[in-house]
Amino acid sequence: MTATPTQTRGEVSPSRLRRGLLRLGGLLQRAVGLVVLGTAVFASLLLLVLANTDAEPRFGRPARRATVGLWEVFYDTEAPSMRVVLAAVAVALLLAAGVAWLEQRIAIRYRRSFDPIATPLAPRVVMGETRGVFAGPVTVTVLIPAHNEEVRIRATLQSLLAQSVPPQRIIVVADNCTDDTVAIAQSAGVEVFPTVGNRDKKAGALNQALAELLPEQGENDMVMVMDADTVLQPGFLETAMRKATDDRALMAVGALFYGEEGHGLLGMFQRNEYTRYARDIRRRRGRVYVLTGTASMFRPRALRTVAGSRGTLLPGRPGDVYDTAALTEDNELTIALKSLGALMASPSDCMVVTEVMPTWRALWKQRLRWQRGALENLGAYGITPQTARYWSQQFAIAYGAIALLTYLMLIVLMVLALDLWIWFPFWIGVGLVFVAERIVSVWQGGWGPRVLAASLFPELLFALYLNVIFVKGVLDISLRRRAAWGHVPATAPPGQA
Amino acid sequence: MAAVDVTTGILLSEAVLASEWFGVLMAFVAINTIMYTALAVAKSLPKVHVGDYLPRRAYRSETRSIHPDAPA
Repeated sequence: MTATPTQTRGEVSPSRLRRGLLRLGGLLQRAVGLVVLGTAVFASLLLLVLANTDAEPRFGRPARRATVGLWEVFYDTEAPSMRVVLAAVAVALLLAAGVAWLEQRIAIRYRRSFDPIATPLAPRVVMGETRGVFAGPVTVTVLIPAHNEEVRIRATLQSLLAQSVPPQRIIVVADNCTDDTVAIAQSAGVEVFPTVGNRDKKAGALNQALAELLPEQGENDMVMVMDADTVLQPGFLETAMRKATDDRALMAVGALFYGEEGHGLLGMFQRNEYTRYARDIRRRRGRVYVLTGTASMFRPRALRTVAGSRGTLLPGRPGDVYDTAALTEDNELTIALKSLGALMASPSDCMVVTEVMPTWRALWKQRLRWQRGALENLGAYGITPQTARYWSQQFAIAYGAIALLTYLMLIVLMVLALDLWIWFPFWIGVGLVFVAERIVSVWQGGWGPRVLAASLFPELLFALYLNVIFVKGVLDISLRRRAAWGHVPATAPPGQA
Repeated sequence: MAAVDVTTGILLSEAVLASEWFGVLMAFVAINTIMYTALAVAKSLPKVHVGDYLPRRAYRSETRSIHPDAPA
């Protein structure tokens, strides 16, 4: 390499520095999974060391025998000291409260900030720009990206047309469809936007449609993006439109999603997950984690600002609303909007029912994409105030994986090393309290989900399956394996098969 | 009530359970189990929003509606 005339020995040229930084950035992006998993392992080792100082031989003494009716049972009154119990409870609650407090502090900071350059979507900035002007009533245009969705799109369209306040326009974004999706859309009387030469999946398809749509949209002409495998619940649009009318600084409205019926035990596992997630959001009073791709509504200003900020404030190609490099484009868009200071909400009346994966294989593909996408998004944004919550969630998943694995290991070891069953009254009590939460959190799902939650171990094994996917995602990112979007061929919803 | 000697397991020797590393694993799992149970209790109880019970000041000086003449 030859140095430029002005460059003296030892100096680094800007282009070289830039290349170096890019390489470092790439390295950090690849390391994101290892950083998360490594931190969780470090925390576990720390606890192991602490546990080592507290450990005492637990099985040095024999179990006790008691007679319950005709049965002879063996039990062990082993229990950790009160000091250990209190410390563990305190650490857990302080950690949870700390994360919640931090998230709230950051949210308030951005809600009050006034920096039109760094946070152009922050409420005060938007309020200032729209003060005293009536830009017309709220209208809704729905975009439905669809790739061979003939089996399901009819129900999606029906749920839109049956809303108490139907949308002004419905546009099916037909992306390389080779089935009857387009014909079904046309027969339902909605518009069809065929993509041209799109190789960037859903994000690319939406970018093409939005590039045409957005310039026509006024301040209050909301754009809703929803999946073709999803059905809106009654009242969704009415609620979302009311929220958008009442608060002109509200940049996006998300949905609570529930799983559709069917697909046996596997379906129920997923439904229970979704029910718990929705319950979490309700308890957070609609504060959004992710503006779900299943159905979310945006103010055009928000989408335009994101498109205009890519390449500078945000990662991605300048002019694109959705980052085509992201595996989870909805999660990425949420972080993008939060980074720009946008206010968003997920009202409890905005609900959708979405597809659950019909097979373990399909679930593997879907979750690997979600998991990898979430981590890659964090790698792309780095550690910022707005991503702090998402980082903590990933640490929690990683630590949870270690905790669950060691828990199951311990049980297996004990079963294999003991020739008779010993009851531990203290741990049975703890287990019952734990199970109570599992049941309470899916209560609204009905008796099936409650019984499944009460039996505990099936759900723990399901969680273990998701943990394995998490580890696979980390490995794939670190080894730079090619990510697949993994389109799952649609299966007929129950009742339509 | 009497003490019982358990010496042989199904697959592993019972000595495994008396080893130091198993004690460490047990303590680790015990602490985690208590931590997750504490979180479970917190999540199963109704959430209390402290702010609801504190006196609030009227902090909105202007309407946020899309209608400029709507009440604040």
